[in-house]
Amino acid sequence: MLYIKNLHKSYQSGSKSYPVLKGVNLSVSSQEFIAVMGPSGSGKSTLLNCISCYIPFDEGSITLGGQTLKNLDADALARVRNEQLGFVFQDFMLLDGLTVRENVLVPRIIRDKVDAEANERADSLMSLFGIAHTADKYPAEISGGERQRAAVARSLINKPLILLADEPTGNLDSKSSRTVIEAFENARRQLGATIFMVTHDSCAASFCDRVILLQDGLVCDTLQKQNESQQAFQDRLLTAIKTMSSTK
Amino acid sequence: MMTMKQLERKLQRADQKQALLYLFCNFVSLLLITAYSAMMFSPTVLLILPQGGDSRKQLTAIFVLALFGCVVFTVYASGLFFRRKAAQLGTLMALGASRARLAPGVFREVLLLSGISSLLGIAAGFPFVFLLWNGFRLFIVDSQEMQLRLDYRCLAVSAVFFVLVAACCCLTAYRCLHRTNIIDIIHEEHKNEPVKTPGRWCGPAGIALMFFGAVLGYQAPGVYMQLFSAYPTALLNLLYAPVFVGLYMIMLHTVVHGWRTRRKKPCRSLIARSMMKFQGRQTVNNLIVSTVLIAGSAFAIFYLPMLGVSQILEVRARPFDYCYHYRMDQDILGQDEIAAKASQYGLSIKEFRSSPYLTLGHDSLVTVEEGRSFHLEHKDLAGSVKVLSASGFHALTGKSVTVRPGAYHIISTADETETYFYVTDITFLTNMATRGTIPVSFAGYVHYDFLAGPSGYYLISDADYEAISRGLTPDWRGTISFFKMDGADSYAFAQDFFHTLTTSFGPECEYGYYYDRVQKIAADEAGERYWGDTDQMTRLSYDNADASDFRLYWTYMPKIRILDQNDFLKTFAVYLMMFLFISIICTLAALIISYTRCMTITLNNRYVFDDLRRLGASPAFLRREVRSQAGSVFRIPVLVGMGAMYFLYVLIMLGNDGKLVLSELAGLAVCLCILLGMAAIYGVVYCYTVRRMYRALSL
Repeated sequence: MLYIKNLHKSYQSGSKSYPVLKGVNLSVSSQEFIAVMGPSGSGKSTLLNCISCYIPFDEGSITLGGQTLKNLDADALARVRNEQLGFVFQDFMLLDGLTVRENVLVPRIIRDKVDAEANERADSLMSLFGIAHTADKYPAEISGGERQRAAVARSLINKPLILLADEPTGNLDSKSSRTVIEAFENARRQLGATIFMVTHDSCAASFCDRVILLQDGLVCDTLQKQNESQQAFQDRLLTAIKTMSSTK
Repeated sequence: MMTMKQLERKLQRADQKQALLYLFCNFVSLLLITAYSAMMFSPTVLLILPQGGDSRKQLTAIFVLALFGCVVFTVYASGLFFRRKAAQLGTLMALGASRARLAPGVFREVLLLSGISSLLGIAAGFPFVFLLWNGFRLFIVDSQEMQLRLDYRCLAVSAVFFVLVAACCCLTAYRCLHRTNIIDIIHEEHKNEPVKTPGRWCGPAGIALMFFGAVLGYQAPGVYMQLFSAYPTALLNLLYAPVFVGLYMIMLHTVVHGWRTRRKKPCRSLIARSMMKFQGRQTVNNLIVSTVLIAGSAFAIFYLPMLGVSQILEVRARPFDYCYHYRMDQDILGQDEIAAKASQYGLSIKEFRSSPYLTLGHDSLVTVEEGRSFHLEHKDLAGSVKVLSASGFHALTGKSVTVRPGAYHIISTADETETYFYVTDITFLTNMATRGTIPVSFAGYVHYDFLAGPSGYYLISDADYEAISRGLTPDWRGTISFFKMDGADSYAFAQDFFHTLTTSFGPECEYGYYYDRVQKIAADEAGERYWGDTDQMTRLSYDNADASDFRLYWTYMPKIRILDQNDFLKTFAVYLMMFLFISIICTLAALIISYTRCMTITLNNRYVFDDLRRLGASPAFLRREVRSQAGSVFRIPVLVGMGAMYFLYVLIMLGNDGKLVLSELAGLAVCLCILLGMAAIYGVVYCYTVRRMYRALSL
């Protein structure tokens, strides 16, 4: 469903160019739950931002649901973001002036499609993620975990092809992190969502089907979850990360 | 079912505080600009401040400074507004809102906010002027010239400023919407704007550069005229540029290093310094604008004491209560008539002294202008001088001066200031009736303050006086008289005397001291038009004998101690009002900018303070960090702005005649006291701001 080929991205600082992604290749299948891990500066967030069409990339191609994301104009990219992508930020990015329900409905409001079906979907998503009781509250009135789950509900309101999450548990305690990861699991299980998550949290990553390890702007390893316990997968992850760090 | 419009409205409501801050900043800018331009272009002011005169130039210069300050402030306010707005727009864009979807709402909002604030500011500008002006008339001084008249064409300035405000805000919105990196838009609010860290030499070098620029800019026109015998163009003012470079360096040093060297506890100011450094660009810009406005405010307010103190000292030091002079062809009050008039008021006069004087033509090198360039040319009839004989001078003053035949002295003040009025290269004097001449040469100054001044007196020997006055008609002859009051004087008598004297003169004497009859004759004889007959010359009228220009410039204006003491404020009322007004406007603008800057620091760094609190910082520690930042924002502009203006004034005083005389020193001392008073006002606002910052940070 998502194909990334030879993706390059560098940042300019004055006259200097700093390459961050140096030819990333990967693919994501439908209903997969994938995590990307790697040390700071490895290009995880940049990769995610390129897929989300938040920043332009230099070379390579990204194909989402059969559509190539290169050379699209700003309006077309906005449509892709709205209809085919869902995004969960580390710091939630809920709009303070709107209630939780309104926040969940924002992608629909942008499309001018707030109909009964949208309201029903918002309600069901909030119930699914255990935040129905916060529907009429404002973001400032709820906990961090609830805010992030509201953000997950928002990301799924338009039934996107893929849900992209950037360090979704980065600002949360372990208990709240757990509820957010459970929300992702529910989304995949009950709604058939495809999830692509960047994280530092090996515990959160251990819930995924596959973990891609990124180093110096390249995919250096991929770990597939076998018929193993979550703890065993997490241990394998930690070992791989340790090996990656030591070979650097 | 919520629509995009409703969503935008809800978000705008949530952002009310930020919008109010923007509204307030624009409102204040427009109010100040409207008020200032209303004042600047008021016919009342334009009539009083002569075109091309120093006062008008100063007024315009400070207006430009205030305009610059308000422009920077408005740009800053719109930037601040969009820093907050960006997170909201970025989130909506991340969720799939296209630029086309967001643009109408954003532009509608900024245009509405800019429009409302600008219109309110413009509308409030006129009542503000009205209140200030009439408050001044009510509480300080009122005169017949102070009827406030406004020329509503001044609205053009406000309109241009409004367009600028709206354009600036729309441009910021456009740039925000057209950025390709959405993540940058989302994180705009927390974006740091660090400045490059210069060495510790930066601040001291900045101070040196400011001094250098001030001296260079001030001295350059004189040097240019000497070197090229031409008047410099306005471009030469660019030589003041080092002042602004120096100012930037000082502010950069303030933000990056601060001025306290903490050798024992170098970490003490680490946090506050870092916070300022990481918003360095905005902070430096704000500090510069505040400094410029404070400097403008100080420059304007200095005008009052410098003028007032010298006037007070001069009037107090007069040896006689009254001095008047007139042409012999005029029918003017004599000693007996004055004594009779005084008795009507229960007064008597004493020590009435009188002396004849002559108005003669003189030769000299004069400056002949050809466009911008000029050259010196000798003219036989270069101008006129009033000449006393040595015995006449003795009769008036009781002082004996030996004047040798063929010599002439100039009567000047004891400290020999303002000698640039006097002509020291005269080689012969001319009887304008017979055109007979006597050769003379300059023999030095004789000191007698009471007879000194721009239309002061020259002294020749009795023999020369006798020789040159032969055949001179009464219109070239005059009488000067002094007298004192026996006991206390009466203001009513002085008024009566002044108005009787004025109405006794014929229309042929209704002109200012700058109108030179000899130059007029020379121009007529050369077939040229004398400048005094053109519109360049300010016309005076006996009908407005109490007007400031009449009292300042009339060629036969008597010196009357009690009148000059009591009417000083009235005579200079418009000047005082104007400069006080400018000072108030600049001070207000500087205070608002400093306050807004401090509150921005608070808002932007709230998370740092929260983190510090979590790390165990005590309220006392956090308060100290707040004070440290607010202190820099208030203290440094006050010190630099006021210090620079004080230095510039000293430079101007020195530039006049190369020395500081008693009246100037006294004036500077009063200026210093005023600066302390102004600093106290800034101190009060600083305390208030710090309290608001504590409250905003829940300290």
